Amino acid sequence: MQVQATRITHAYKQAPWRIQRQWVGAFLLLLIGAGMIAALYLDVTARATLAGREIQSLRTEIIATQRTNADLETELANLTSTAVMQQRALELGYRPVKPGELDYVFVPGYVKPEPVILSDAPDSVLHDFILPMDYSQSLLEWFDERIKSGGIR
Amino acid sequence: MRQQYAIRSLILVLGLAFVGIAVIVQMIRIQNSEQAKTFLTNGDLYAGEFETFYPERGEIYDRNGHLLAGNRTVYEVGVSLGDMEDVDAMSYVLGTYLNMTYEEVHDKLTNSPASWEYIVVKDYVDAETVNTLQQLLQQLDDADDHRLDGLGFKPHFQRSYPELNLASNVLGFVTRDGRGYFGIEEKYNDLLAGTPVQVWVPRDPNKAIEIPRVPNGTTLVLTLNRDLQAKVENILDQALTEYGAKNGAIIVMDPNNGEILAMATTPRMNLNNYTDYFQLYDDGSQYNRSIGMAYEAGSVVKILTMAAALDTGTVTPDTSFIDTGSIQVGGITIQNWDRQPWGQQDMIGCLQHSLNVCLAWVATQMGTQSFYSYMDRFGLGHPTGVDLAGEAMGRLKVPGDSDWYPVDLGTNAFGQGVTITPLQLMMAASAIANQGEMVTPHVLYAMLRDGHQYNVPAQFAGEPITSTTAHTLTEMLAVSLESESSGALLPGYRLAGKTGTAQIPTDYGYDPNHTNASFIGWGPVDDPQFMIYVWLQEPQTSIWSSQTAAPVFSKVAEQTVIAINLPPDLVRLQYGSR
Repeated sequence: MQVQATRITHAYKQAPWRIQRQWVGAFLLLLIGAGMIAALYLDVTARATLAGREIQSLRTEIIATQRTNADLETELANLTSTAVMQQRALELGYRPVKPGELDYVFVPGYVKPEPVILSDAPDSVLHDFILPMDYSQSLLEWFDERIKSGGIR
Repeated sequence: MRQQYAIRSLILVLGLAFVGIAVIVQMIRIQNSEQAKTFLTNGDLYAGEFETFYPERGEIYDRNGHLLAGNRTVYEVGVSLGDMEDVDAMSYVLGTYLNMTYEEVHDKLTNSPASWEYIVVKDYVDAETVNTLQQLLQQLDDADDHRLDGLGFKPHFQRSYPELNLASNVLGFVTRDGRGYFGIEEKYNDLLAGTPVQVWVPRDPNKAIEIPRVPNGTTLVLTLNRDLQAKVENILDQALTEYGAKNGAIIVMDPNNGEILAMATTPRMNLNNYTDYFQLYDDGSQYNRSIGMAYEAGSVVKILTMAAALDTGTVTPDTSFIDTGSIQVGGITIQNWDRQPWGQQDMIGCLQHSLNVCLAWVATQMGTQSFYSYMDRFGLGHPTGVDLAGEAMGRLKVPGDSDWYPVDLGTNAFGQGVTITPLQLMMAASAIANQGEMVTPHVLYAMLRDGHQYNVPAQFAGEPITSTTAHTLTEMLAVSLESESSGALLPGYRLAGKTGTAQIPTDYGYDPNHTNASFIGWGPVDDPQFMIYVWLQEPQTSIWSSQTAAPVFSKVAEQTVIAINLPPDLVRLQYGSR
């Protein structure tokens, strides 16, 4: 009876080399998994670093562009200042007009010019750029927000 | 055999485990050591830095969009002392390009405190100089020459005024510490400057954070018309030369809404060289005489006395007055400007000949309480509230004041013993030109922030007189100008106005040889579109305003009608009827 039981056990027990291979396989699986995660992490980190560098570079570029804009605007104002324009007009043969030399013409529907409007049209106003939360919140924060806002569908 | 392998394996495992545990123990030990704290602190120090983001100061435009105050980039030139290779070469190059001596630069670079890592050699260096230096650096870099290593440039903004001294008294200026002084720059300094934002900026690109947007300072649009301002300043400068006046002021205002179209005073300064201020002005009140300097304006105040008298019904334009050349008020004799009697006059004649005696009589007929009540309603003795820094409010003595005497009622009625600024009188007179409604003068037309323009509405400061009184007085003043063929008249346009020649008070009484010549006028009479005030301080060729300030008024009116596209009355009424 006992001999028979031993035979049955032997019949269903894995061969030692098979158990060894399973262990090695499991270890290799873990190793490959860890390697893949590490590679993925490195890839994402590298991309994030590149994006970070690009942001820093763009920020510098924006500031430089703003400075250039201000410089150009001031330079344009220098070139069209009253003194410069008067000088240019005189050089071109113009002279100041006198009231008696003016002819007024009746133009139906003419509206007296109003002071300048420097603002953009309301619908073309650039609003502040707001980074969506999806780009900054962690998975746990996302879960938390979803739960608080009524569950996950 | 198998047993032997097992023991060897065990020993190997234990050995490796020991090494591993030793490494972990050592890591824990290092991370909790005293040195670790220092490293952590140093690491935090170099992990990033607090950066202050300064907004660009808001620009200032005239009503037609011409830039009056902007910003331009200038540079701070400095040296990182740790990276500096050759102090002699650095001193020589910077000395040459930055207009400094070799010794000056060398001294800065070698005598700085030991803890300093960076030193500013010169600030506010213009872009051209920095470009030249950058090209030189590039050439040296290409040649693998490191003698200028450590040289750096930090850009920042500096206020710039493209129109130099145009409207300098209205604009004010900004010093290097970024603070506005005088005029618009001081009054709206907080709006223009914006709010700086300080942010911790990590150096680690993985920790790149979103820098909060720093909105620029608010941009302002003024009511000034740049071209008219230039012409008015030119007329004022010519008038000072022609009449030998010490200084002067001219203001052009729209009496319907208080918008100041031009405000010229002397002296003016190039706002890009604000340090000239100390050479040009003795004190702040001289910076903009139109609002900062109160003076006895004389007969221009008679229009307010007459307005009050008409409004109370004390007189009408036809009221007759027999001028004997003198009148007693409070026991003191008041005489006319020429000390002569002018006989029978109506109220138009009193204004036309600017009779002190007549106006003193009018005030006494009105009564002390009524007279001063009206002067108060006209805003005398109170600031106008104009949106410019440095406004003076003048002085109107009233009954109850320790230095008020009964004779003041008579003298105040023709503008003696009461001090006002030109803008104060314009504000008071706006009630006459604007159907009884007094406007608050202002220079700001609109503000621009975040792409939105907010226009400033006109503000009114009460109705001291009725519209009927305003119309009647305007007509009286127009007739009186026409009757005397005043030099203030402008062909094609019917104008109303009044001269003012005032002796200057001194510690020993009134100076008979020096006067302040003033003129206030507006037009066209049927629908006033502009109001002009002229003040010439101590003209030499003539002491009379009719011969100095009045012709200046006419010249300014001539330029004003062109600038605001106002056709002659005949044309306007003809087209208006269509």
